[in-house]
Amino acid sequence: MASNISGLGPQKNGLSRRRFLSAAAAGVTAGSVADMTAIHGLRSEALASELKKQNKRVILLWLAGGASQFETWDPKPGAKTGGPFRAIPTNVTGIHISELLPELAKRMQHTAIIRSLNTKIADHGTGAALMECGRVGDPGVKYPDIGAVVARELGRLESKVPDYVSLYTSTEGRRKGTSGFLGARYSPMFLSESMTPPNIVRPDIISEIDHHDRAALRDVLAKRFTTARRNQAVDSHMSAYQRVHGLMASADLFDIEREPESVRNRYGSSQFAQQCLIARRLVEADVPFVKVARAWWDSHGQNFETHQELCADLDHSMSVLLDDLSERGLLEHTLVITLGEFGRTPGINASLGRDHFASAWSCSLSGAGIRGGVAYGKTDDEGQRVVEGEASAGDLFATILAALGIDHQHEYMLGSRPIPLADFGTNPIRDVLA
Amino acid sequence: MRVALMHLLLRFAFISVSSLAFTGAQAQELLSPNTEVAVAVDHYIAEKLQSRSIEPRPVADDATVLRRTMLDLAGRVPTAKEYQWYFEQPETVRRDMLVDRLMQSSDFDFHLRNSLDELLLANRPNDGEFREYLLWAVRQKRPWDQMFRDMLTARQADGAEKGAVQFVSSRVRDLDDLTNDTAMLFFGVNVSCAKCHDHPLVEAWKQDHFYGMQAFFKRTFITRKNVISEKPFGEVKFKTTEGEEKSATLMFLNGSVAEDKTPKFADDERKQLEQQIQKLERDENAGYVISASFSPRRELAELAIRDDKERFLAKNIVNRTWLRLMGLGLVDPPDQMHEANPASHPELLDWLTRDFVASGYDLRRLIRGIALSQAYARSSEWPADETPPAASTYAFATTKALTPRQLAASLMVVIRSPDNWPSPEDSVAWNKLRNDLENQAGGWTREFEQPGENFQIAVDEALFFSNNDRITKDLLRDGGDRIVGKLKSIEDNSQAVDQLWVTVLNRKPSDEEIQTATDWIERENIDRVESLRSLTWALLASPELRFNH
Repeated sequence: MASNISGLGPQKNGLSRRRFLSAAAAGVTAGSVADMTAIHGLRSEALASELKKQNKRVILLWLAGGASQFETWDPKPGAKTGGPFRAIPTNVTGIHISELLPELAKRMQHTAIIRSLNTKIADHGTGAALMECGRVGDPGVKYPDIGAVVARELGRLESKVPDYVSLYTSTEGRRKGTSGFLGARYSPMFLSESMTPPNIVRPDIISEIDHHDRAALRDVLAKRFTTARRNQAVDSHMSAYQRVHGLMASADLFDIEREPESVRNRYGSSQFAQQCLIARRLVEADVPFVKVARAWWDSHGQNFETHQELCADLDHSMSVLLDDLSERGLLEHTLVITLGEFGRTPGINASLGRDHFASAWSCSLSGAGIRGGVAYGKTDDEGQRVVEGEASAGDLFATILAALGIDHQHEYMLGSRPIPLADFGTNPIRDVLA
Repeated sequence: MRVALMHLLLRFAFISVSSLAFTGAQAQELLSPNTEVAVAVDHYIAEKLQSRSIEPRPVADDATVLRRTMLDLAGRVPTAKEYQWYFEQPETVRRDMLVDRLMQSSDFDFHLRNSLDELLLANRPNDGEFREYLLWAVRQKRPWDQMFRDMLTARQADGAEKGAVQFVSSRVRDLDDLTNDTAMLFFGVNVSCAKCHDHPLVEAWKQDHFYGMQAFFKRTFITRKNVISEKPFGEVKFKTTEGEEKSATLMFLNGSVAEDKTPKFADDERKQLEQQIQKLERDENAGYVISASFSPRRELAELAIRDDKERFLAKNIVNRTWLRLMGLGLVDPPDQMHEANPASHPELLDWLTRDFVASGYDLRRLIRGIALSQAYARSSEWPADETPPAASTYAFATTKALTPRQLAASLMVVIRSPDNWPSPEDSVAWNKLRNDLENQAGGWTREFEQPGENFQIAVDEALFFSNNDRITKDLLRDGGDRIVGKLKSIEDNSQAVDQLWVTVLNRKPSDEEIQTATDWIERENIDRVESLRSLTWALLASPELRFNH
């Protein structure tokens, strides 16, 4: 309700704008902080608020289509599956990564690599759903993805900023993200057409003050209805409207023109880098989860050229992002996940491509809660299979939650059915946790 | 998996024990089959309220009952003219007159079609033929058991029933979805828990039931030309939790087994057929069809229709229809119809199911009966300083979020000038307009989310109402065909407010609301039309419009 209401004199019927606004404010406090989800678990509220105080946040760099582990985190130079690129040493003794990531190689102190993912599912749709939700879906249960879970666990109910933002501007493999049974409160704000979210800017034919007044009038008139009908859906209608002006005020967060030129230059002109800059602006403003997708890594043909191009963008954008977060003191609170739906085959096909491969591949975790400078797990000499530290999608999901200080075994109750945050029988990879 | 199963068993142990109290109470003899549906509903609901000494809320005021009935039977709110018509009818019979008029209107057909579409195909891609089929079936007053058979066994080549095949074809690429959706949506049973182990909750449900259901669909495939076909052979094999390899029998949920009449194929014949099927799946120009003499899907349809013990097919749609009208299923959630999750009113569910089967699976009779009950018409308000009883007592009406189609159609109704709608008695003119309304509403539905369990309104919707041009520049135009234009032409402010409330909220404003609204319009230095516009916006964005209450 932060509209400019000065300069308005008393009006003939005594009903000033101010009166509408204060009446509205009185009307909306009751019940607005009630927990809207019926999915209560056993979590202690004190513990939850303690967690939220630490202001943990996540940026997920989503490598849509599936990046090759050989050309990124798990090079096999000299092996017949290794491809033409070299491995280079990093600033952490003993860890080598692909020469396509020279800048990231200088920053391994922030990052833990996991080289032992065996997630088994190698088609785009199901694989992406598996990595996003940490489990294969059951028919009849709509699972929330990692963004929605983090938004639910770390977001604030009364937050004025969005708590799950997903930037996905290419068409290949586009996925909106899903809050599943957690409900629409935790759905992502999805940016697919432009760098600004839809309907977040006031229409030009109505002034800012009229826009606020109209909303206040709405609240006043709604009160009679809502007081006698308290249920989750009615409450959510009320809180959705209460979040409108806060979210509108956050429109600036999406405007990178507000950054100093030096910062914009540092990120550069690639769309991915600019979206990383938006992501930094968002986490800086306490948005708990931002996903930035970069497509399209699905290199069935010309794998090596594809990776030369895409890895350059990833290397630059992620490095600048880590530096920027670190310099601002944000990296210790922000977990940066670099992940796709699967990796790529050791075998190189006739079109010099690599196909889908989910039995031995890699991802990385940097920043908050992570022990940097670690390469966890091992694949065999040709990268055909995991030989040490095998981890499932659920284990990775549990690891991410653990890095954020969230109990991965905490259960949501879906009716009478308990659903743990990370799937039954999964465990965080302790070796990569700080 | 062992860990998970143990975990579930522990979790559910206490539920099974406490549910004995319900299942232990043996059903008394049911009310006579000659009882009117609405009377039976009220009898059973009242019985339970009395046994728990709960005083239910009274029947809501006429305007509320009108709006609720219109939304549930016609899929939209009333026009100002319908509102007026309702109050002109004799008080004691106006509800009956309304229900009977609505049930003969095109509104009813469209809305029942839309509700079935939302239930059965939800957001799955379809080319519109399924909706055409449903509309055809609803207009024919086609019994539910026949519609079920259409959906399970229709082929593209058939006549008006052909669109029904999309229930199967939209799921054919995922055997688990096809199996479980059929079980959930037609039989009220979610068998997916029994996939990896026997059901932890329901002793009677074994892996055999899950794979038995799956066996009916195993042979179903789609050709490259998108034709749904069945292979002449093919069975489901599964591993039990003991590690034993088993072949599934064609077993329905009630334990009945269909005789497997698959003809014997010689090895080379089988190999040849398999190659032909593979070609059909891959090659658009295969130029032949495979026909199977024995159809497991047809067997499933017949077993389910013949099921006169559990009556899964009938009971499920009775419960889901009740859920749609009353806001909460007698069995809740509706896909957990089993002994460990008994109905809130088991005798009522049994009575309604028996009546439904006896009526020849007549959805209209069921809908009419529920809509005319007192339980349906109760007030949805509960004093704010008291804790309401459980919703499953039906002591008050549940406040239900509108579906995207109800909301879109209602918006299209209320933003027009009330003068632009025909008289409710002119059914020819109305039916013509209703078609346009359906199409217009279709252009708005994707802005809103389909309500489900734990439904919440997304902030995207509030942002849409607050800032989207379609709201500001289209719905809130002040042209003569729009409500804002109409209000502009009414000189007296309290009359304008009255018109606005009746048009948008389908009720008269309270004195306090008239005061607030006229004060708003009369603010100094603010253009009257702009004030009328923002006032109208405040009602369009109100929870009162957003919910069926």
